[in-house]
Amino acid sequence: MGKTSKDKRDIYYRLAKEEGWRARSAFKLLQINEEYNIFEGVLRAVDLCAAPGSWSQVLTKKLRQNTENEDDVKIVAVDLQAMASLPGVKQIQGDITKISTANEIIKEFEGHKADLVVCDGAPDVTGLHDIDEYVQSQLLLAALNITTHVLKIGGIFVAKIFRGKDVTLLYSQLKLFFEFVTVSKPRSSRNSSIEAFVICQNYKPPPDYVPTMVNPLLDHKYCDFNEFTGPNRFIVPFNACGDLSAYDSDTSYPLLLEGQESYEYKEPVQGPIDPPYKEILEKNKSMQTNNL
Amino acid sequence: MSVLTRTDVTAVKFFNNYILAGVGSSVEIFNKDSAKFIRKIKILKGQKVHSIEYLKCESKFLIIGGKQFSIIELTFDCEEDVVSEQQVVYPIICNDWIHSGAWISKEKVAILTAHNVVQVWNIINGTFDKEYTSKDNSILYSGLLLPIQDDILVFSGTVFSEVIIHQCGDDVPLHHLKGHKGVIFSITYNSEKAIIVTTSDDRSVRIWTVVNKEPVNYKHKSYWSNAKISCVYNLYGHMARVMCSHITNDLIISIGEDSRICFWNHEGKLLRKIFAHQNSCIWSLDTDNRHLVTGGGDCSVILHPLSLVSEYGHKETIPINIDAPKKVKFTARQNILIMNEFNELIYYDLSSNTSKTHRLDHTSTYKLLSLSPCKQIIAVADMNGKLDIFVENCKGDAVIRKIIDTKLNLGKILSLLWAGNRHLVVCSENGLITVLASKEIDIEPVDEFHLPPCKERWLTSSALSSNRGMLVVGDRCGHIHVYLHGSRNPVKSFDKIYDRYGTTSITIKNNEAITTGRDGKIKYFSLSKDVNEIKYTNCKDVEFQWLEKFLDKDENYLCGFQERSFVVYDVKNNLKILEVACGGGHRSWDAVRYIEKINEHFEEFIQILYLKNYTLHSEKFRLSKIMSKNIINGIHSKQINCLKTYKDNGDRTATMFISGGEDTTLRISISDLNSKLKDELVFKQLSSIRTLKFHQFDKNKILLLSAGGRAQICAKIITFEVDHALKVSSEELVDYLIKGTDKERKGDKNWRDCAIDFDPETRIMDLEIVKIDNDFIIITACSDASVQIFNLNTDKRKLYPVQEIKYHKTCILKTHVFEFITKTLLVTCTTRGDVAFWEVEKPPKMLSSEPIFSMKTNKSGINSIDVNVIDNTGFLLATAGDDNAIHLNVIQVENYVLNSMKVINSWSSDKYHCSQVTGLKLMEDLMISTSIDQRLTLFTLSVTTDGVKCDFYSQCCSDVSDIHGLDVVDTSNDSITVSVFGKGIEVLRMLKPTK
Repeated sequence: MGKTSKDKRDIYYRLAKEEGWRARSAFKLLQINEEYNIFEGVLRAVDLCAAPGSWSQVLTKKLRQNTENEDDVKIVAVDLQAMASLPGVKQIQGDITKISTANEIIKEFEGHKADLVVCDGAPDVTGLHDIDEYVQSQLLLAALNITTHVLKIGGIFVAKIFRGKDVTLLYSQLKLFFEFVTVSKPRSSRNSSIEAFVICQNYKPPPDYVPTMVNPLLDHKYCDFNEFTGPNRFIVPFNACGDLSAYDSDTSYPLLLEGQESYEYKEPVQGPIDPPYKEILEKNKSMQTNNL
Repeated sequence: MSVLTRTDVTAVKFFNNYILAGVGSSVEIFNKDSAKFIRKIKILKGQKVHSIEYLKCESKFLIIGGKQFSIIELTFDCEEDVVSEQQVVYPIICNDWIHSGAWISKEKVAILTAHNVVQVWNIINGTFDKEYTSKDNSILYSGLLLPIQDDILVFSGTVFSEVIIHQCGDDVPLHHLKGHKGVIFSITYNSEKAIIVTTSDDRSVRIWTVVNKEPVNYKHKSYWSNAKISCVYNLYGHMARVMCSHITNDLIISIGEDSRICFWNHEGKLLRKIFAHQNSCIWSLDTDNRHLVTGGGDCSVILHPLSLVSEYGHKETIPINIDAPKKVKFTARQNILIMNEFNELIYYDLSSNTSKTHRLDHTSTYKLLSLSPCKQIIAVADMNGKLDIFVENCKGDAVIRKIIDTKLNLGKILSLLWAGNRHLVVCSENGLITVLASKEIDIEPVDEFHLPPCKERWLTSSALSSNRGMLVVGDRCGHIHVYLHGSRNPVKSFDKIYDRYGTTSITIKNNEAITTGRDGKIKYFSLSKDVNEIKYTNCKDVEFQWLEKFLDKDENYLCGFQERSFVVYDVKNNLKILEVACGGGHRSWDAVRYIEKINEHFEEFIQILYLKNYTLHSEKFRLSKIMSKNIINGIHSKQINCLKTYKDNGDRTATMFISGGEDTTLRISISDLNSKLKDELVFKQLSSIRTLKFHQFDKNKILLLSAGGRAQICAKIITFEVDHALKVSSEELVDYLIKGTDKERKGDKNWRDCAIDFDPETRIMDLEIVKIDNDFIIITACSDASVQIFNLNTDKRKLYPVQEIKYHKTCILKTHVFEFITKTLLVTCTTRGDVAFWEVEKPPKMLSSEPIFSMKTNKSGINSIDVNVIDNTGFLLATAGDDNAIHLNVIQVENYVLNSMKVINSWSSDKYHCSQVTGLKLMEDLMISTSIDQRLTLFTLSVTTDGVKCDFYSQCCSDVSDIHGLDVVDTSNDSITVSVFGKGIEVLRMLKPTK
């Protein structure tokens, strides 16, 4: 396959490289902001499951516009994996299901709580949709759980969600903690992808709620107002976000875009660090693999 | 009600003489020996069955899937081959995902959930007993429960690449097994062998030994607390993630995402590696004493013999003692013929290990050796025309004797081939083809033909149809020519059918010629006395590139080479039978299939012979020991993007499924709408297939168009013939790339040097066939936002571009064509929710540059559309898509003027689906929709002057994930039969509202 074929196939992949983003997902957060103004007045933000760091890049760029003094902006990026460092972003390599991680975040904010928590985490997909959807929902609930420890009342939570067969269970769970829950798909996210983003505004936990990490949050069960099948299912409003004139991720664009005169291939900004298949790749190189 | 389901097979289990397979939310039961479908039992509610555990001696089964588990009791009547069931515990829905379960007594089961919680349930009354929560509660990817005395041992496979072993009652884990570099996908344990086997995302299989100084039973707590567990083998054999493993007394079997099954011994040696399930992930496996069963992502269940190399194969080097052997062949009596570099032909008797040398007095060192198809007649010629023919004795002494010794005056001999057992085809310089036949003790030329000039002007294969007096040949440049007796030049030529190595074999059977070559395709030609009826009809793709020849008379066992291995492939069942690492096809080799009587049984064998480093190797395989058998036939190995069913109006019970998908295949399958669904024809395209449409010529003949990635459009004629069984055949018309092939786009330049190609990688998203007079107009909607129109000439087999329209700004996702007030209208829908209407007129200017009418219905991409014409004044448009919403719009025109289109009434709702709506169908007073959320919703519908009324009627759930659309199979007075497709196929029957 030619080096440029991915550039031809995916406009946002190409734009990300040209604009210096570590991943095309940067555009998703930017487009969500265009619609929901999630960065308005935000100084303290948490990026959960941050690797490779494109959302942290967006946060750095956007939050600095909210203040005269760059030092007021505090961004904490949390991930299990190591991530190449970013200026102005405090990295915590830790597990979001641990209370220690929540405490570390608060410490970083000098005792204050975050204005915004974002999470673009996706699990290692197995290819079986039911398991993948479940693991993604658990990742979101783990993110929600740590959010309840670190987010200020009235704050915003944005997270990736897989709109699979049991997504209504997650909606009803999120609605317990936030006044407004909408699901949104940025123009930079493909039509063929089941990914979407929940934008949860005005954090308002139930009156008797005490944040805890002892038990994981589990998603709801089907009930009268959220049936497994039937007319009563808990469905939240949907919005497409991003400017109508923005590029469309399903459209194939020529390498010479309108108004451009030349094209130059650019290498990806940041390659993966330590993938699980690293060892086998090295073994294959040295031809040690058992081949019958 | 689910009628038929094909989806990922996530659980398989042997039980006595039966195989239980978890297909979606049901368990399907098959007879192991006859592969007969016994019955399907629906067990869970909207969850896939992920594991089946039975209680020994009780025939009670614990069925687990997602957050649910259920207990059933089965009664097997082996005489009658029937199974009856009783659901002991209805699905219990837990609050978390269940990874594993075990019987701890006749009354109790334990389950392990994804947050490392063990729950114990009483199954007599279906009540919760107690639970144990582990402190390591980060999400698990796999787990195993092992009941021990007064406790349960828990093996948990974490996302942090380690396995934690703890006892339910204890606070502190006993062991941490560290070493894997990725998520743990499975853990298995065998108490007799005292080993644990783990598989992981890091592509490895690890074997861990459990060692105890004291002889304590593994059921004792102290066994585990005192044990030393260490990784003894770290095994790499899979090229992708390893999903699961199974331990038997002699073997460890692992399955992976790479569609491979690896057989290891307990010392970590890879004994055998087989390929199954068409490149899809293999999810599940089980063994009994003699078999292995696997379930895969291609929705199939395959039964494999569980045999070791020593049982099925025999490998030896044959001590021929001959200097510089050059060519080897099997004879009819399975003895060996060797030609060496010293002008000798040696006949080697395998039973007595003796050889006899025949001196050849040839003057040229370039010698050709060819055996007749019956392998009894041997022809040897040198370049100068010296020809010797030998015959092998069919009875008595195993010898060959020379019957003809002659000199041909044909110039330089370039190839020597047999066409049947009676004719030799000699190709000599300047393209002279001479057909020789035996006459008494000599040979005489019976025909002379002229091979059209080409770069390497000689033949690579030939076949004769004697009753037609027709010779079919393939030359070294990949052309195929057909000659008739008496005419010097070809009566029909097919250019560049194969690449530069030419055809490797030609077989003539009845009215068909079948050819093989080195591009991985078996090609079929129709033969006829009428020259115009000699056509290239279609081809079949095989998993490997270099195809050589068929080993049997039914053209089912195809042999060839894949990289450095010799491969035999079962064409009918799409299964690779065997692989021998012989070093590749450039060596001299031969292979035969034969029947031998062993212990009163006739057994089928395949034997291969090859030269490697001047040594002659032979390998022999007993097919019954290595042949796998389909229990459930596979379908697409990845998502299905498009599917149409076809049923003619006769009383035929079969339904045709025509489908295309991400696995780049187009398949035509036949189903009885009960348990059977089998591919009859499989075609491969260059990239994913996104759309297909057909036009019906008559009830047994359709024109089929398919298109997708790489802007490829394929057109075929499919014919259904009914004798006693249904036969499907195809004829390829067009294989067209809008943007041209890579070569055409870039010239002959090398990839690396060529300048950047600025054209986008266009995908065809949808297409329509419109018949105008005698022309077939093909309208395609592309990802570069254009509409491209073609004229298909079925006689000339050509697709001519007619028009290109660039109107939309973004990718077009769907198109639809309908007739309205005697006009043909086209609708296009985009990723931005735009809908445009166009009038389709006669060529050349078929569409105007602007649509008649356009509107925006959905907030984002439209993934499904349907139209219902109300009357001469208006129609109902239904669109649905990524915004979960279904929009209905009544569009009206005044005085038959299309330009007056306007929306007069609307209805919309986003309440019934929680993700992308991918399928929509309007029927008179009903509407059906389906979505990625795996629900099918039935609405009642009425359009009156007051507006559109659309009401929810019912909803059901499908086991197929990633649903890409629906097709109505059948309707009756009280029900609608619908097929949904995505990661699998499901046919469901929904009841209509009673009037």
